Amino acid sequence: MTGSRNRVFLTGLWLVVTLELRQRVRGVSWYVLLGVFMLLVGIVTFLLWLATSAWLSGGGGVFSTIIFFVLLLGTLVSPALSGNAINGDRDAGTLATTQVTLISTGQLVLGKFLAAWITALAFLAAALPFLIFAVVLGQVSLATIAISVLVLALELGVTAMVGVGLSGILTRPLFSIVLTYLVVAALSLGTLIAFALLGTATQHEATRVTNYVVSSTFDETTGRQSDIICSSPETTTYKVPRFDYFWWLLAANPYVVVADAAPGAFDDSGFPTDLFGQIAVGVRTAQAPAELHTEYDTCAEAATGYLDPPYDSGPSPEDAYDGAVPSWFIGLTMHLLLGAGALAWAWRRTRTPATRLPVGSRIA
Amino acid sequence: MPSGIAVTGVSRSFGSVFALRDATLTVPVGSVTALIGPNGSGKTTLLLMLATLLTPTTGAIRINGHDPVTEPDLVRAQMGWMPDTLGTWPSLSPRAALQTTGRMYRMNREQSAVRADELIALADLGDFADQPSRVLSRGQKQRLSLARALVHSPGVLLLDEPASGLDPAARAALRQLLRRLAGEGTAILVSSHVLAELDEMADAAVYLADGRTASPEQVAAAGASARAWRIRSLDDAALERALGTPGVVGTPAQVIGVDQLGTLVQVESEAAAAALLHNLVLSGVPVCDFGPAVGNLEHTFLDLTRDAPAVPGSLPVAPTESEATT
Repeated sequence: MTGSRNRVFLTGLWLVVTLELRQRVRGVSWYVLLGVFMLLVGIVTFLLWLATSAWLSGGGGVFSTIIFFVLLLGTLVSPALSGNAINGDRDAGTLATTQVTLISTGQLVLGKFLAAWITALAFLAAALPFLIFAVVLGQVSLATIAISVLVLALELGVTAMVGVGLSGILTRPLFSIVLTYLVVAALSLGTLIAFALLGTATQHEATRVTNYVVSSTFDETTGRQSDIICSSPETTTYKVPRFDYFWWLLAANPYVVVADAAPGAFDDSGFPTDLFGQIAVGVRTAQAPAELHTEYDTCAEAATGYLDPPYDSGPSPEDAYDGAVPSWFIGLTMHLLLGAGALAWAWRRTRTPATRLPVGSRIA
Repeated sequence: MPSGIAVTGVSRSFGSVFALRDATLTVPVGSVTALIGPNGSGKTTLLLMLATLLTPTTGAIRINGHDPVTEPDLVRAQMGWMPDTLGTWPSLSPRAALQTTGRMYRMNREQSAVRADELIALADLGDFADQPSRVLSRGQKQRLSLARALVHSPGVLLLDEPASGLDPAARAALRQLLRRLAGEGTAILVSSHVLAELDEMADAAVYLADGRTASPEQVAAAGASARAWRIRSLDDAALERALGTPGVVGTPAQVIGVDQLGTLVQVESEAAAAALLHNLVLSGVPVCDFGPAVGNLEHTFLDLTRDAPAVPGSLPVAPTESEATT
């Protein structure tokens, strides 16, 4: 019984998806757009290949940049294609005629979301040849390929969810498309700006206590300093920005999510080998709390003969990466909740028989 | 068990504005009922509630015994709705649109293809069946919209302004089609401004004014009130002379005008009209046309709404104008 009900649900869902695809993404202009996209990715790939000397260093840089490029173009195109999915149909008079059939509101909203997602994924598919090229150049692990493509696909899905959701929540197609763009911009750029501004605006006072060597004698037999006369401790205060309070803002950035999700690739001295790794290290380093009190004792350093550095030179990028919370998980969860919330709200607003109509709207 | 449409005491408010105050009507199985009312009287709002798109604020609706609010799927499976706004998927051909609609009613691929072919023939869309819908004219879109409402052979049919944009031949075809469907047991509710059109096909009429349906007593009183009759004679002078003779036209009746179609006379009742005709013929006037100047529905409609003078030929409503639901 439930099996056949599921079949009925899926048949109707797929009907909405195919109808939506036939309606929205058909015709020559769509293929021209994909062609232009492929051309752009091709040019970018070629230039990166030259710029990073990829034939020597491997395709890590090329691969990660293409993934970002697909994310950029996907999030630029997707709002235009999904942001009027529901209210555009209402304007065209085709929403109500679908709602009086046995297609449920759930099938309608989900179907429109899936169609918008499939449309965005077409860009990923068009970029595939270039991704394969980058992989052929070497140095890209299978795990990196699988995870970054998967997370990229999910992020494109989030954009589609927000677009379709807003088109069901708002009455005017123009507003919902613009708002979808604003959401994309807020996540992609707004998070960076907010992180930088909030971090630098929230400054805390830090103190550093320093001892200087006033005079000393070098003992040639031991190779050490002796008779060290130390200055009295000198305290300086200065301001430090508290980026560690706001690292989660960066985690909400889709580019950071994609970069951070890829398994980090590091060289022998602990430095990241691709763009993803560099971003991930940057974001995870921001999690480390600022040191508000440091002591710098030159005398002690002199006494030990500068053999072991008495102060910490800081962890290597790889150590910082390993020691921090993987922020992609938090960011992706936030995004999926945002998208699912938008879809759920759209479902509520689109449900029939409707009890309440948005002001100035017409149901049919 | 099909029982048609039953609406009792339904109202609907949008915020503080009542689009519908108190509607009560029934549409029995196998009949065509006209829904008549001026713009903004709540016709479209009522049809939207019957079509499971809007919940009533108060009152109860039953479509073949099912409540559109609590059992929308059962209602949708046996209800066909043709909206007043023409919405067609622009890049789909009529054939593809009808097939898709059939699939939305859970028909399989073959069933919906067969049904689409039947409906294309029925709606006379053969020449355009495989062109994108955006090239269709208004009348063709209107026929496609009707065909779509019939895809699942519904037992209850709701038509909002089905005749607007149709040419005379298509109107005649629509009339025949609706009579045939009613004959096959469909309960049909038609809203239209073209009242003469409805006169010919409706078994009953529901008058809606200011969000209220007129009671049967109001309708009976309005139908029986004085109205204009049009008389045409082969000899205009003889007619004029006869009408001027005392006793030919009953005391309350009077000549109210002459137009290119004949002379208009205000007559109290049908009995008075019969007496008038009798007297005219006895006076030797060669009468070739004698009948009510406005149809039954229009007369009742005008009498119920009152604000417009009962002069034939000037409908108080623009037939193509659609009304807002909010």
